[in-house]
Amino acid sequence: MNKPIETLFPQALPPRPHNLFPVWLAAALAALWLIVRDLEISFETLAYGVADMGEYFSRYRQPDFSDLPRYLELMGITLATALWGTVFALVVAFFLSPLAARNLSPHPLVYRAAREALNFMRAMPDLLLALIFVAALGLGPLPGALALGVHTAGFLGKFFAESLERVDQGVYEGVAATGANFPQLVMYAGWPSILREALGYVLYILDRNVRMASVLGLVGAGGIGLALHDTLRMFNYGQSAALILVILSTILIIDYASAWLRQTLN
Amino acid sequence: MGDSRYLSRFIKGVIIMSTILIESVFKRFPNGFEALKGVSADIAPGSFTVILGPSGAGKSTLLRLINGLETSTGGSVRIAGETLGKANLRKVRSRVAMVFQQFNLVERLSVATNVLTGRLAHRSWVGSVFYLFRNEDMDIVREVLARVGLTEKAWSRADKLSGGQRQRVGIARALAQRPKVILADEPVASLDPVSSEEIMGLLREICDRDGITVVVNLHQVDVAKRFADRIIGMNSGRVVFDGTPAELSPQALRTIYRREGMEHDNSLDLALAYA
Repeated sequence: MNKPIETLFPQALPPRPHNLFPVWLAAALAALWLIVRDLEISFETLAYGVADMGEYFSRYRQPDFSDLPRYLELMGITLATALWGTVFALVVAFFLSPLAARNLSPHPLVYRAAREALNFMRAMPDLLLALIFVAALGLGPLPGALALGVHTAGFLGKFFAESLERVDQGVYEGVAATGANFPQLVMYAGWPSILREALGYVLYILDRNVRMASVLGLVGAGGIGLALHDTLRMFNYGQSAALILVILSTILIIDYASAWLRQTLN
Repeated sequence: MGDSRYLSRFIKGVIIMSTILIESVFKRFPNGFEALKGVSADIAPGSFTVILGPSGAGKSTLLRLINGLETSTGGSVRIAGETLGKANLRKVRSRVAMVFQQFNLVERLSVATNVLTGRLAHRSWVGSVFYLFRNEDMDIVREVLARVGLTEKAWSRADKLSGGQRQRVGIARALAQRPKVILADEPVASLDPVSSEEIMGLLREICDRDGITVVVNLHQVDVAKRFADRIIGMNSGRVVFDGTPAELSPQALRTIYRREGMEHDNSLDLALAYA
């Protein structure tokens, strides 16, 4: 306990550990430069292109709102697509995430399987999924909703699982010690503890799905995106501009609404 | 032949006599730490037992083993004649309730719902996952909340309560299980002296009135002496004292709280002078 007093005098510090940060930074910059060379990205072309781009964008100067009721209806379809995609994702994530939470999962193999299923869904881009579902189910909002649902189920499931893993182990023990089984443990210790966080994630995914649903129309999955695709191909700049403005304002409204809701929840 | 039959009946009788029978239990954690080094004890039905010992003596591990929150690496635990294993884990837990130092309530649920979780093992999962309970379960909630004096708080969220109140919810949840045994792992370690007194009084009353076997881990020697029928002292994974509070002499306390490699421990003497 009582060390001799001499050890309290200043002494030489042990050698300082090497800091490799400058090396990594140099390597990253070198890699970036090589990529620019490899892809033949020319900043000269970009500079000349600015003038052309200006001319192109000027064609959108006069939005044509004569068909507004139809646009709003199409926007409604897109919103419905996003909503159903989110509901699908929510249902899938609700059942998969407790299995994918390390501290809850009934067996390590079940945990692995659930994790990989979620990873797979997340790894499939929704644009690709939409192409597949459009080919399988035909044009319309249904393949769009499915594509969004599958892709975002992967996200929601991962978010939920990680929230469930962050719940204090004591809470699970408190409920498990009464003799509760797995579904009861999930419903009484798991979900109530993360409900608020989970609602936040769902709102975020809904917000993201509304944005994505507008794009999915471009590959034939219905809604306002499909209309935009058509007007763009017919070089109908006025109508395209109106459609883009409708999409933009809807996304802004949804963004503010979900931010407000999330703040109210906290 | 006759002798062996007599013997087996005798053994059976002993098993039924003790609600909890712990036989040379070992526990080694994956990191190599040996928390229990052959602990044996039998605890009589309806008794109030306090386990004393320094931090790290294995008190918590022992209690958690009895509820199946830990699995032993040797020896066996019997509850009312049934050896605790993987197959009967939930069945045993439904009769062996646990009260925790950190209360371990579901903070976002109401007091009443927290108490209802004590009924989960008695109900199939189909109705209970939708938060549907029978009237008799609600009757039990009313009864146990009145018992712990929290009827008014039934629909308050658990995180709105004080520490003492939360621990009373923990006890109400345990009572709702209609248990044979209540294990309390340092139930008063996070509470002020007044709440501690309340909680210990409540546990003692439950033991006396309902005949429920109570086993409590404690750090406070004076509290242990006042409430216990029997005191088990543990030090570094072994039972080093087992007797009545009257038998807990200063010498016995020195054995319980002895520290490795410290022959003349001033802190120990000072601490025990006021115990």
